[in-house]
Order: sequence, then C-alpha cells, then structure tokens
Amino acid sequence: MKNLVLFALLILSGFSFGQKFTISGSIKDATNGEDVFGAVVKVKELTNVGTTTNAYGFYSLTLEPGEYTLIYRSTGFDPQEFKINLTEDLAKDVELSVPLDVQQIQEVKVNAVKENDNITSTEMGVTRFDPKSIETIPVLFGEKDIMKTLQLTPGVKTAGEGNSGFFVRGGGADQNLILLDEAPVYNASHLLGFFSVFNSDAIKDVALYKSGIPAEYGGRASSVVDIKMRDGNNKNYSASGGLGLISSRLTVEGPIVKDKGSFIVSGRRSYADLFLGLSKEDIPDDTKLFFYDLNAKANYRFGEKDRIFLSGYFGRDVFALGEDFGTSWGNATGTMRWNHIFNQKLFSNTTVVFSNFNYGFDIGSDEDGFGISSSIQDWNLKQDFSYYLNNNNTLKFGINGVHHTFKPGALTGGNSSFNEITLDPSYALEFGAYIQNDMKIGSRFNIMYGLRYSGFNLMGEGTSYEFNELGESISETTYSSWESIKFHHGLEPRLSANYIISENNSIKVGYNRNFQYVHQLSNSTTSFPTDNWVPSSINVKPQISDQVALGYYQNLNKNMFKISGEVYYKILQNQIDYRNGADLFLNNEVEGELVYGQGTAYGFELLVEKKKGKFTGWVSYTLSRALRQFDDINEGKEFSARQDRIHDVSVVLMYRVNKAIALSASWVYYTGDAVTFPSGGYEVNNTYVPYYTERNGYRMPDYHRLDIGFTWYMKERRLLDHSLNVSVYNAYSRENAYTITFSEKDGEPVAIQTTLFKLIPSITYNFKIKNFKKKDKTK
Amino acid sequence: MKNILYILGLGLLVISCQKEIDVDLNSADPKLVIEANYTAEDSTVRVMITLSTNYFELSDAPTIDNAVVTIADHLGNVSSVNSLGNGVFELSNYIPIYNTTYTMNVSYDGVNYVAECDMKSPVALENITFDYYPSFFGSQPGYASNLRYYDPVDTVNHYIAILTRNGVTSDSVPNFILQDDLLTDGNLVERPLFVNPLYETGDVIGIELRSIDQDIYYYYDELLTIAGGQSSAAPANPESNWSNKALGYFSAYSNSRKNGTVP
Repeated sequence: MKNLVLFALLILSGFSFGQKFTISGSIKDATNGEDVFGAVVKVKELTNVGTTTNAYGFYSLTLEPGEYTLIYRSTGFDPQEFKINLTEDLAKDVELSVPLDVQQIQEVKVNAVKENDNITSTEMGVTRFDPKSIETIPVLFGEKDIMKTLQLTPGVKTAGEGNSGFFVRGGGADQNLILLDEAPVYNASHLLGFFSVFNSDAIKDVALYKSGIPAEYGGRASSVVDIKMRDGNNKNYSASGGLGLISSRLTVEGPIVKDKGSFIVSGRRSYADLFLGLSKEDIPDDTKLFFYDLNAKANYRFGEKDRIFLSGYFGRDVFALGEDFGTSWGNATGTMRWNHIFNQKLFSNTTVVFSNFNYGFDIGSDEDGFGISSSIQDWNLKQDFSYYLNNNNTLKFGINGVHHTFKPGALTGGNSSFNEITLDPSYALEFGAYIQNDMKIGSRFNIMYGLRYSGFNLMGEGTSYEFNELGESISETTYSSWESIKFHHGLEPRLSANYIISENNSIKVGYNRNFQYVHQLSNSTTSFPTDNWVPSSINVKPQISDQVALGYYQNLNKNMFKISGEVYYKILQNQIDYRNGADLFLNNEVEGELVYGQGTAYGFELLVEKKKGKFTGWVSYTLSRALRQFDDINEGKEFSARQDRIHDVSVVLMYRVNKAIALSASWVYYTGDAVTFPSGGYEVNNTYVPYYTERNGYRMPDYHRLDIGFTWYMKERRLLDHSLNVSVYNAYSRENAYTITFSEKDGEPVAIQTTLFKLIPSITYNFKIKNFKKKDKTK
Repeated sequence: MKNILYILGLGLLVISCQKEIDVDLNSADPKLVIEANYTAEDSTVRVMITLSTNYFELSDAPTIDNAVVTIADHLGNVSSVNSLGNGVFELSNYIPIYNTTYTMNVSYDGVNYVAECDMKSPVALENITFDYYPSFFGSQPGYASNLRYYDPVDTVNHYIAILTRNGVTSDSVPNFILQDDLLTDGNLVERPLFVNPLYETGDVIGIELRSIDQDIYYYYDELLTIAGGQSSAAPANPESNWSNKALGYFSAYSNSRKNGTVP
C-alpha cells in the first residue's frame, strides 16, 4: 500500500532528467539570528518558480544550470536580491533585515514589500501571526494572549466571555490540537480559562489550521494550533519584560556562542495573592492564589549540517486556603530536536517530546486530610523529512509514535471519612505515518496532497467494561500488561489545491479527514482542570471529521488590501455527550455515562485585511451553523451545538499616530449562543423547577463589546526601550449576558442575567534592555 | 469538588453583576406533576398533584383533586390515599416495613401513573459537633456544624441532610445536602455543612438525615443542577420514577434527627 503511494507520488512529481543543481541554505533575521519560517525564495527570471523556508529556516531550490537572480523575502523584512551563476550545487545563507524606516518605529513589523503569497500558496483556512504584530490590540486585564487574538479571526469562536478556550468551525473545544514546539498541551488555560498558558514574550509564531490541514499533523478532529517558541537572540544579550495588573513577565536571551547557538528563558507569574496580603479583610495565613509559566529554550549548531534544540515549558495554577484546602494543576512539556541536513535536498528533523498534565487536591489537615490526583502523560518520538525533489515538488514524510498514560484519578487519605480509591490507569500507543507532496503544475496550478495513516492501540493492564443501553455495567474483562484491548486505525487523506487566476486573485479547494483518539470529558460551561481526557476504547470510538472547503482570494491596491472568502462543510462522527446527571468524577465506569452521536457544521467566512501603512487591521465576518444529533438526547432530534453562533463579526484597528503613540480598538459582535431555557415549570419540595422541552432551543442575547488601547513608546535610551500600554475592556460598559438562570425571588419565578465584566481598565509597562553585555563584534 | 473550584473564580466574580431580565419563553403543554412522599417517621403518605405551567406563571399552578391515588406494599396489599382538596392527598397510620418496596398508583384523566420506591431503614446520627471558621474574603466568621454518622458496611446507602436553625428548616431543593457512600462505605462520616451566614454562639441547630432510595438520590442530584438558579451547560429534566412521563417523584424514606447548640 505505502509503496503504491510512493510510486504514485513519483509518477505525479513528473521526474525530469538532465543535469540540475541545487542551491540551499537557511534564512535568518539579521537582528537576532532567529530562523525565518515561511520566507519566500523566488527566481526573478522564471515565473512560478520558488520555495519557502521550513520551520527551521531551511530552503532548497533545484534549477537547470544558468544565471539567475534570487529574491529572498518575508513579511516585515526588506527583500534581498542576489545574482548567482549556477554551475554546481551552492550553499547560501541569507540574513534579512528589518527596513530602516520600520526600525524607527520599533517593534512594529509592517508589511513593507509587495506580497501576494496568500494568492499563490496552497495554504487555505490558515491564520498566522507573530505575537509582536498584535501586541497593541487591547485585551482583558492587559494580558496579551495569542488565543484571544485568534478568537478575533473568522471561524474561531470564544468559549465564553474573557475565555481563552475556543471552538473552530463548529468543532468541540477538545478538538483543537494545541502544540507548543511540537508538544501537545492538554489544558491550555489558567484560572478557569480566563488566561491561556502561552506567554507571548516567548513565542515566535502562531499558526492556526482550520482546513487543508497538512498530513504531518494528526490527532484532533477540528484544528491545529502550532505555536513555536522563540529561539533566542544569538547575537546579543537582552532582557525584556513587563509589569501588569495580573502578572509580571521577564525574558532573558542571548547567544551561547555567537551565531552558533542561543538561549531564551521567559517567565511569568500572577500575583493576586500578594494583593490579598495587603487587603484589610481577614484572610487565612498561607492563602495562595497564583499561576506561573516558565519557558526555556536553547539551540546549538554543530558544524554546517547539524543543530540541536532543547525546549521546555512548565506552568501551574496554585490555590490554597491555609492548611485546609490546597489545589494545583499544570502542564509540563519538553522537546528535544535534532535537525540534520543529509544533503542539499533532504532535511531531517528528529524529535522526542514529553508532555504531562496533572492536577491534585489536598483537603483537610494532618490525619483527617485526604488528597485527589490525576494525570495524563505522553512520550512521543517523531521523525520528519523534507525532500526538495525538484522545483515543482516538495515532499514531506515521516512517522511518529506516542505512548500515552492516563491516570484518571486517585483518592488517598489516612483516617478520613473516605475510602482510598484509585481508578484504573489506561495505557495506549498512538502512531502516525504520512507522506505529502506540494506540487506545482504549470504556472497557475498548485496542489498539496498527502495521506496520513494513524492508529491507536489501547493496552493493558486494565479492565474494560461493557454497558447496556442504560449505561449500567453488565460485564468486565481484564487484560494483562501490554495486551491489546482495542485497536483503532484509519486513513486520513489531505488535499488542498490552488488555481492562480492572476497575481491578484486565486481560487482554492481543500479536503481533510482527521481522526481523534483521545477525548476530553467536560460537562460544565467553564474550563476545569478536572475535565479528564479519556482514550478511545471498546466503547469510545475515535472522533472522525471530514471537511471540504472552497475559497476565493483577492488582493487589491497593490496588495494593500487582502480579501478572502471561504465556505466549508464538515461532518463529525462519533461525537461524545453525557447522560443526564452524568458523574464524570472518580468514576471507574465513566464510559457508561457517555452517549454518542454525529455533528455537522457549515459556514461562510470573510476576512478583509490591511497590513501595510500606519493604519492596519482587519474585519472578520462568519456566518455558520453547528449542529449535533444524538439518539439519546433531545428525543433523537438534531439540535444546535452550544457554539452554534450564527453571525460573528470582529473589527480590529491599529493606528500608528507617530513614533511615540499607537492607538488600537477592537469591536466584536455576535448573535447569541444556543442555550437551553425552560418552556414551563412546576413545583416540588417548595422549589420552582424549570421544565425543559428541547436541548439548546433558545438563544442568548446578542453580544457586543468595544475594547480600546493606547500605547506610548517612551523616549528611547541607549540601552532601554520602554512603553506604557493602557487599555479599556468593554469601553461602553455593555452588560453582556454571561449566564441567564431561572430561580425565584419573593415567591415569584424570575430570570436572572449575570454580567461578568463591565468596563475594565488596565495598564501595563513593558521594557527591553538591549545589548547589555556586548560581545566581540568581529565575526 | 467543582463548588470548591468555583471559589477560584470568586475574585473575578466580585466585579460581576446580576439583574432581573425579561425572557420570552415558549409554552409547553401542561404535564401532570406528582410529588409523593411516604415518611416513616410519622407513618404518613402525602401526595401533591398539580399541573405544570408556563415558567413565569408558576406561582398559580392548577391543583388536581379528581385523581385516584393508591399505595401498595411488597405483598400487594392496596391502600387508598384520599383527597383533602387543593391537590393534597393523604394516608396516615400507614406503618412502614423497612427494606421493602412500595408501589404507588395515580389514575387521572384515563391515564395510570405508577412509581416504585424502596423504604430504607434509618441510619442513626452521632452528636453534632461544631467548628469555627475565620473570616474569608470579607465574609462573617462563625461556626459550621459537622454531619456525623456511621455508614452501614456493605450496603448501598444514599442520604439527604436537611438543616434547621433556631426552628427554621431549610427544606427547599437548593438547601439539600446529598451524600452517597461510594467513597465512604462503612466509615464514620464527618462532613462539615457550610451555611451562609455561618452560625453564631447560642444558635440551636437541627440535622435531619433521610435514608433514601437510589433513584430518588439521582433525581435530587439532577434537580440540584437545575433548580435554584444554577447554571448548567446542558440542563435536562431529572429522571422521574413515575411512568407515563409524569413529573415529580415518589419517595419512601426514613430518617433520624439530632439537635445541638453552637458553643
């Protein structure tokens, strides 16, 4: 089977014979030596001949012998041109610099070059940004958050007011694969979802794939958020940071050996509890309420062909009330990567990834106390290759294997009222193998096609339960260590194709099928650390999504304005919901609480962007539906998913008044989420009880909100850049409904609306200390 | 556990606000609501029969008197529960037999509604103890009582605890304290019962511990997530033990009581 695929790819790739030579190398940012990902290398003399750099800045172009002019360019940099005479294989590393006029306006990268890559690439349904480019956008409590910026783009819906969780194109919140330097992050939020775990200071690039998901990614049904940590400045030492209302940040970076290796360490800690100490209220000693994040990364180049990266993330939320109650949860991830350039055409990346999420509670003191703990842990081994076959074909292929350990929960305690209980752990091996070709056919047609084969083997030691229709356990089977309990697998075809009508417009189509083998159980509106992940098993089938998408892309006014319109239709199989009154906590037979169904989602997304000039921003509009059907819910009738938000508009405006002042505003408007309200009521036990007739049959009120921001870049000192950011969340203090609940007041039934955030001002001070320890300038 | 986690959001909720609003709700067809309790303590069966209404018309729900209500013991002996008017039906001096099943039958408008429930034997309460809790985030300091009892070994037990403070009983659903023995089977259970505001010295506190049927426990558990202004992602009607989609429940239960004075 796989040989056939390889063979087909070779045929399609249209082997051409004759002597050819390859020019390859890497592209870096001249100011700090960071790899430039997605930079374009074009041949001036030939139309539609070019390539882009991979995640490590590597490129490779194979051409007939001859003289050429190569153009190197990337968003936010001055383009560079080189004449080459290709009579043998060449190596060419390029450093791109930020244009001088932009350096004046520090930190703000503006698209200064003619750019129409959005028209010519096969990428569709992809949102990409550099956290720096969005740093002036106003946010809640002034905490920069890449996840909240993603929510301002089409097809991405927030999980709730101020929440960093999100839904992509009608999929569930657990259907987003969130990768930090290739390590999956299982619980990407702090403090019940109000902040994401990603510290923007440590992040280089964020890409969200909504459709046409490349075959190298697998494991979630709806989207991939690929977050790359910065490598650190390999030319100079610098420190940067900020003081905000919620947290403070500090980043230190610099070369290990100049131009050969660098490191970056970035930390963030919130300090709500420090304020508690100052308050006059009586608060128990040892009250703790904070979260922190620590990102660290180092890379080193060994010779011309090898490079090692080590990166890690560690973050936790901690909450404790004296000795009586304490809880903490958090993620730890680690990634070790080895880049190796076999030859000018073959680039290899070998990765070992570790990821762990756990939570724990300690309740009561000393001998009466008891504790609860739970964790999920992965070890992942990956081997990826990029093969630059020729100008028209770039192949990517690779394999990976993950060992999952799920520990859904344990209750331990000495002499407490509780009996000790440890839920059965589960073990699984997940693997994937993929091959993909990015192919140019003529000057107008590009196609990226690939196939991923994935599998998931749930293994002993463990016990599996069989359930009857009511979810009651009727039999159980025990398995010994490494014995296969259930093997799920499937083929995931991926395709995206682009027809270039002119240099200003193009049409793209995409199809992808994704399998998801692990599932998060959550039956609340808020994000809780106790929302456990469970593996696919005898009872739980993998979630499968199939999506087709069609898009039209138009650039206007010399690429000043970029317009894209995309439509999509998605079918989701084996979706998971819960029985009424499901008990998901410390329950060995939790699978008996689950019910299964299908989903469909479809919509239209429109994005108008202006990325050049003093005045930048975008307008995003989404028209969409997200529906579910479960035999056991809503009498089997199709119903709206909670995220079935029909209209969703975001407007983001950034205006650079002058060197010192930047203004920004964002406005969001969306029609209400689907919600279940009572259509009647009755009384039992002296209590009014709502009577429901259908799931999600009502709508929350429309939501809208304006945020404004003001950034003052203060006078630059020799070693110090600093700025002050003031922002106002919900500037016109709209009382948006967070929840609407039904209860009684003075004997009469009433509906109560809760508004979470009215006008919230915040202030943040940011600084950067440059070149504080100058190294020898000679190369 | 989730309740504890909600405290985490407390700091943020301080800046939230609530207001009463008008919501345009649909009208569902009226359904029969049967709230039936058989209390071992006074050997009385009490039944309240009403019809469901539109949500905002709840305070004047119509009552039903022209129903025929009977109760049968595990041997099939049928007794009649008679109407007292205003939707109330009652049968007194009906002596319970613990750990047997009772069946209630309600016949109304040509439809027969049936429910079964086990009458569990009572579980004795130990003496109430009190603990002092200092102020937290500006709340008043005070005392909370501890629910204490020995859970019978190797039997499945379900309980509701109901608190009385200085003669005022908190017997509406949001004040129910539910307890099962999944994690506590056979132990001395000691559980602090927090109230708002906390108790003061001299308060007389009563605890009633009802031993209830498993289905009723789940019914109340589901009821708790929707009644009394709770916010739930996917609220649904609790699963009643009545046949033919009647709302409400039939619960047979026994209880024990203790009183204590806050030191």
